[in-house]
Amino acid sequence: MNARAGLVRITRSMVASAALISIVAVLATAYTRTGGASRHSLIAEMLSNFILVLGMQVFIGNTGVLSFGHMAFAHIAAYATAIVAIPLATKAKALPDIPFGLADVKYGPLGATMFAVAVTMVVGTIFGVAVCRASGLAPTMITLAALFVVEQVVKNWQELTRGAGGLSGITRLEGNTWLWVGAFIALVIAHFFQETRIGRFAIATREDELAAPALGIRLFTARYAAWVVSIGLIALGGSLRAQSLGSVNPKQFTLDAGILILVMLVVGGMRTVSGAVLGTVLITAGNELFRQLGDPERLDIERFPDLFLGGAMLLAMLLRSGGLLGDRDLAGWLRRRMYRPPPVIESDGVATEPASNTLVARDIEVHFGGFVALDGARVSVRPGEVVGLIGPNGAGKTTLFNVITGLVQEQGGSVKLGDHDLSEATPVEVARAGLARTFQNLRLFKSLSVRENVALTSLVAGRHRAHRPRPETELLLADAGLTEWADRQAGTLDYGNQRRLELARAAALAPEFLLLDEPTSGMSDTETLAMVESVRAVAARIGAGVLVIDHDLAFITRISDHIVVLNEGRVLAEGTPAEVRANPLVAEAYLGTSA
Amino acid sequence: MTKLLQSLVDGLGVGSTYALLALGISVIFGVMHLVNFAHGELITVGAYVSYFFFLHGGSWWWMPVVIIGSAVLASVATELVAFRWVRNASPFTLLLTSFALERLSHALWQIFVSPKQRAFPKPSWVFNQFKVADINFEVMDVVTIAVTAVTLALTALVFKRTLFGISVRGAAEDFDAARLMGVRANRVISGAFAYAGFLAGIAACLIVMRSPAAEPSMGADWLLKAVIAAVIGGLGSFTGAVIGGLVLGLLETLSRVYLPDLAEGWDKFSTAVVYVLIAAFFVIRPEGVFKVSHAERV
Amino acid sequence: MLEVDRITTRYGAITALHDASLSVSAGELVAIVGPNGAGKTTLLNTVAGLLRPATGSVRFEGNDITGAEPARLVRAGLALVPEHRRLFKDLTVDENLRLAGCTAKSHERRHRLEEAAELFPVLRLKWTTSAGYLSGGEAQQLAIARALMCNPHLLLLDEPTLGLAPTMVDVVFELLVRLRDQGRTMLVVEQNAARVLRLADRAYLFRSGRVVTTGTGAELAADSSLFDSFIGTT
Repeated sequence: MNARAGLVRITRSMVASAALISIVAVLATAYTRTGGASRHSLIAEMLSNFILVLGMQVFIGNTGVLSFGHMAFAHIAAYATAIVAIPLATKAKALPDIPFGLADVKYGPLGATMFAVAVTMVVGTIFGVAVCRASGLAPTMITLAALFVVEQVVKNWQELTRGAGGLSGITRLEGNTWLWVGAFIALVIAHFFQETRIGRFAIATREDELAAPALGIRLFTARYAAWVVSIGLIALGGSLRAQSLGSVNPKQFTLDAGILILVMLVVGGMRTVSGAVLGTVLITAGNELFRQLGDPERLDIERFPDLFLGGAMLLAMLLRSGGLLGDRDLAGWLRRRMYRPPPVIESDGVATEPASNTLVARDIEVHFGGFVALDGARVSVRPGEVVGLIGPNGAGKTTLFNVITGLVQEQGGSVKLGDHDLSEATPVEVARAGLARTFQNLRLFKSLSVRENVALTSLVAGRHRAHRPRPETELLLADAGLTEWADRQAGTLDYGNQRRLELARAAALAPEFLLLDEPTSGMSDTETLAMVESVRAVAARIGAGVLVIDHDLAFITRISDHIVVLNEGRVLAEGTPAEVRANPLVAEAYLGTSA
Repeated sequence: MTKLLQSLVDGLGVGSTYALLALGISVIFGVMHLVNFAHGELITVGAYVSYFFFLHGGSWWWMPVVIIGSAVLASVATELVAFRWVRNASPFTLLLTSFALERLSHALWQIFVSPKQRAFPKPSWVFNQFKVADINFEVMDVVTIAVTAVTLALTALVFKRTLFGISVRGAAEDFDAARLMGVRANRVISGAFAYAGFLAGIAACLIVMRSPAAEPSMGADWLLKAVIAAVIGGLGSFTGAVIGGLVLGLLETLSRVYLPDLAEGWDKFSTAVVYVLIAAFFVIRPEGVFKVSHAERV
Repeated sequence: MLEVDRITTRYGAITALHDASLSVSAGELVAIVGPNGAGKTTLLNTVAGLLRPATGSVRFEGNDITGAEPARLVRAGLALVPEHRRLFKDLTVDENLRLAGCTAKSHERRHRLEEAAELFPVLRLKWTTSAGYLSGGEAQQLAIARALMCNPHLLLLDEPTLGLAPTMVDVVFELLVRLRDQGRTMLVVEQNAARVLRLADRAYLFRSGRVVTTGTGAELAADSSLFDSFIGTT
């Protein structure tokens, strides 16, 4: 990542943010011009929500991990702000026994905000380790637990928080200027995060939890980065809200408040910043509209907004579960508009010198319960060689792939790449060591464009495989015959192209070996022939050896230098394609014995 | 000793209500991978229905039938009007759909009844106490534990012996295989919702007898605890849900009673301590006590 | 009894079956052979209602059943022993069978349970064992017994010998013979082509989602080019 590219990215984030905030500002001005002073406070509320929604978007939107507990951190930030932003005399009265020598601390707005963000991020970064290590629903539950913990601490730590009554007298911000500034900063950060390498990695983990590690992206690191940035924004939002209202209390950032923010995110479209912005504006407006249906005298001022929130969310889920905007956003549009492909986009057939390591899997044994999947299987691939792995259904081909790539732990045997022992390696380590695989069931980053699928993997290569020549994204796309589809969403490609994209994506890792699991399954004969050329071109470009599983012997014969036949978890035969075809044992394994 | 026994009884009392709710959540998760955040609303439904029932002169003896009946109907209705249309969507979409229903339920009670609590008299015997070996038991505690025990035993019987129960367990394990055996998808899912409603109805009875009042948001707290309990047990595991519920109830009670002994002045943070423990548990065992595996081919 | 007329089935972007047609008459044992990925399983899953064909039609005993729910097809008399067996591993043998008998009245179900215990003595010994603890051969027998609980007019079997030890393969083939002798109509997808072709009245060879050849079992078995068409021509 050179300095110029970085500058382009930050500029793009600023431009997109400026455009979005201008639209919101125009709407807000139109609204406040036509009504009384109370309308300014609605705008203030919307702006702090705006920052909170963006904070949630950075984590939930990019990683796809649901969190209920983000409000816990807004809570911490709000109280941290209050404690240092209340004038000393007021504080002495409200909190006579305040600990940690905070009695004499009073900061201005900027200082208080920075203090609050710092305190919250210290707590948040520690807590985030727990959230990002877990998987499935556990992170959601952990964040929910955080919400309860913070709520109870706030309610009961009298010396620091004055309990249920809350704290008031915080030096208030004049007007909404600072909130606008905060919202703009949050927008730039949220946009820019999606442009950074780690942000792209986070999105990859959202798109496919299995494919991302197989391409060398560590789930934890990517999620954790998103978490930290997200908590920073949440802290900013919480702090500014406290300073805008002038008071804090334990009921400000409850689960309900969190749900309001979540609805904004989900209705607009959580995957993009533009979606988050749209959701915030729409839900704030709708909420206010429904609030006015109620009669403040009769306590039903809160009735109708709930109806609106529930209804909006239900409709969004039933009709457009990706949110109103789905994957469309201003920053993405700008990115595509500003993209200038390099001049050479014809497949030029330039080859790279193969690396010098041999991939060797030896005596692999795997049992699933009583079922023996692999029983001493072995395979080796020399640099630049193409080895075909065939065998009847259930022979253990994919299991062998999974062992080599670290998805399945073998009970016996070893996997080595040169001198590098990969027997115990995780999928991420295997990928970074130089093995890239494709999946039988296709695991593309579906909502990203074809080009992004490849470019994102190329970022991993730039980081972890810098010793190998890094293949140009456009050239890989050309080799795989995907140039004309480069801007399409990967999930919308037809089957053959999806297969070819998996190949190009794996190659973008600049691996020493490509492991292809049934690259032609479901393809027509002509497509299969084209795939031979694609695999050859791509492998030559990156100087990689290939280990390929396929059931189609025509394909395997054309492409392989050497064929290994697996049957019942063991090597039944191996040799050149001709030798294998002539071997009666192979025919028997395929057709069965007539016994 | 007395203190321990008493807090065990208290803990089991709360925990068994969690268990009933968590079990319902786990059953529904089993058949359609939905974490149903609208499940707690069945308590609210039960409470309001019994309020109106009482208002029109209903007696406490018929109350359980009315509450359970309404919870079952409401549960099945949520599936019909909402979940059926997103059945094959991602778990994320399913979960948010249930969240939306929860919000709507709050809103409807607020609009059509009142945002304020509506209380009605409780049966006279509820807080009567009796003494066994120097320990005071509340009648309601014993009723709660006994009713839960019977319900859980009945549930075990239903899932073990009846065709319906076996179908639900089969469908939870492999929905397509169950369809191939002739199990009707709509029927087994409706059935699971109905049974979850039945369990929630019983929980609602116990809750309403203890504090007879209806309030729009009353289900939310119970629901969150129940979801946490179900996830502790391992979502989709029925035994796990019950264990998760009981453990959560005991943890809450015991920490409230014993924390002051361990660390003075910490009693007000007992809930916080419990949730810190729970968070730590999820870090160590994200899949819960009983791991329910869903095979995924690569 | 079964007529499959030019069906095309897709999984998202993948077309797994192109214009495939076949038929099965009452009392026949029809085999489908072909390499992995030829669309054999897709065909059975489409017939059994797990997948909906994009085009084409499936008729069973004179009724159009294209895209019907599996539960309805089971009641119409069509049962599938799915690939990888898909037993309910947490359920006991008894529960697996009872669940599969859910379409029958309770006395009829009891009767079929007794029949199953008789036909599969191995299972009788493991009656209250969880299916997850069965050996491969026992599990496959349970899978077949389970489908028979639906008392199907047509039994579809998908790779019934996959992953079994050779002696167990023998047991399963003997079972197929016995079922054929009882007059059951069967459509079998089988990897052990040589063996299933000797047994089959008629057979279809699939490749790349299409029917390549059809004929009697003996004709296909005698075809010397079978191996070539199986794994592709060079």
